[in-house]
Amino acid sequence: MQENYLAKWLSGELSDEELREFENSEEFASYQKLKDVSSKLMAPDFDSEKALMRLKDEHIANAPKVISLNPFKKFLRVAAVIAVLLTGSYFYINTLNEKVSTEFAERSEVVLPDDSEIFLNADSQISYSEKNWDKKRNIDLKGEAFFKVAKGKKFTVSTNHGTVAVLGTQFNVENRKGFFEVTCYEGLVSVTHNNEEIKLPAGNSYLVINGKIISTGKPNGSLPSWMNNESSFESIPLQYVFAELERQFNIKVSTKNIDKNLLFTGSFNNTDLNMALKSISTPSKTRFTIDGDKVLFYAGNTQQ
Amino acid sequence: MSNVCEDHVFSKVFKTHSKTVFNYIFYKFGNEEKAHDAVQEAFVKLWQNCAKVSPDKAKSYVYTVANNLYLNVIKAEKVRLKHADRHVKDRTIESPEFLLEEKEYKDKLDNALNALPENQRTTFLLNRIDGKKYVEIAEMEGVSVKAIEKRMHLALKSLREHIDGI
Repeated sequence: MQENYLAKWLSGELSDEELREFENSEEFASYQKLKDVSSKLMAPDFDSEKALMRLKDEHIANAPKVISLNPFKKFLRVAAVIAVLLTGSYFYINTLNEKVSTEFAERSEVVLPDDSEIFLNADSQISYSEKNWDKKRNIDLKGEAFFKVAKGKKFTVSTNHGTVAVLGTQFNVENRKGFFEVTCYEGLVSVTHNNEEIKLPAGNSYLVINGKIISTGKPNGSLPSWMNNESSFESIPLQYVFAELERQFNIKVSTKNIDKNLLFTGSFNNTDLNMALKSISTPSKTRFTIDGDKVLFYAGNTQQ
Repeated sequence: MSNVCEDHVFSKVFKTHSKTVFNYIFYKFGNEEKAHDAVQEAFVKLWQNCAKVSPDKAKSYVYTVANNLYLNVIKAEKVRLKHADRHVKDRTIESPEFLLEEKEYKDKLDNALNALPENQRTTFLLNRIDGKKYVEIAEMEGVSVKAIEKRMHLALKSLREHIDGI
């Protein structure tokens, strides 16, 4: 007899031979009776229609009640999202750089976390990471600024024209459209422009106009002239002089019959527009008229 | 493809399987009330998860839920089954001895069934009353067909021994 032959017998899976052998056994009659009687057993009554009705009444019909709790769940979900966004933006804002900028005819002074000082000339902007300042002293500069750098780790000024790296010194960086000038007043400044590094000792300037390196004379004094409310130029094309004039007085300069590439050497006062205009027009042999915040320069021999 | 969330599909699944779920739990624990509750619980769960359970998985889903419901929670009670009396209609005269013998046998069978281990009784009754094949019972119980055959064999053996007083 095979294993579990009683189960096989009940399901009719015994072979003929096995079945005959089993039917001849003395206990067969008992099993046969058990099989017959057990097939007449009945489980308690179960009315599936009624059970389904009960299910729908008690559970599924009540479903709207469950749904009515959902608005709060939804609110929680929204609240959770907002909370995540708020914390996220908090950390994001924390990592954002500090920004200081000046408008036309405006100047500003910034004291950095290590007591280094930056003086921003008109229409300029710096940004730096206050959080990471201890690790990396880096300033992004647009425009012009004078730096008094406290001694310490390498201090870099990044501009779109190049970078200026120092350890501790005083220097001026002017980074305008087509114009890049670095002047060192104390210590030693390293200027990288077009992947070329130049060491700039105190009392020297480095000037690039429209990609051309131009040798300039030594700066006067220990501060850039604009720090003393004066803009001074040495062999600088007139267009940059006019641009500086616009920035310092928040005016609009236009020209007529003037070669703006003529080199200008001189300076103008940053506080008195009339004085400044004369300071430019006299040496450049030009004339000017003022109309509100507009100034027109024209050649001295032009008939007006 | 039809979805259990659709009312007619759900009703069909319910009508097809609720009776077996009821019996299944009743054979295990001998408690009618709990068996009714198990049907409700199992199908409510199915309804709540109707989107996740495909119609062909619905059957094993409700058995699993019903089975897990009272796992080690309630104590098995005496299983009381009804005995269909088919003799009443085709025979007009029955000897009192015969009737008494029948009554005695049924009592012995009831006692023997209650003396069986829960898994043997459930297997035996699902087959004898609900006509479930071994392979179906194996699926419901989550064991192999061979294990069900073993339970069936042992159930028959001990039922006979109990009834014959061996």
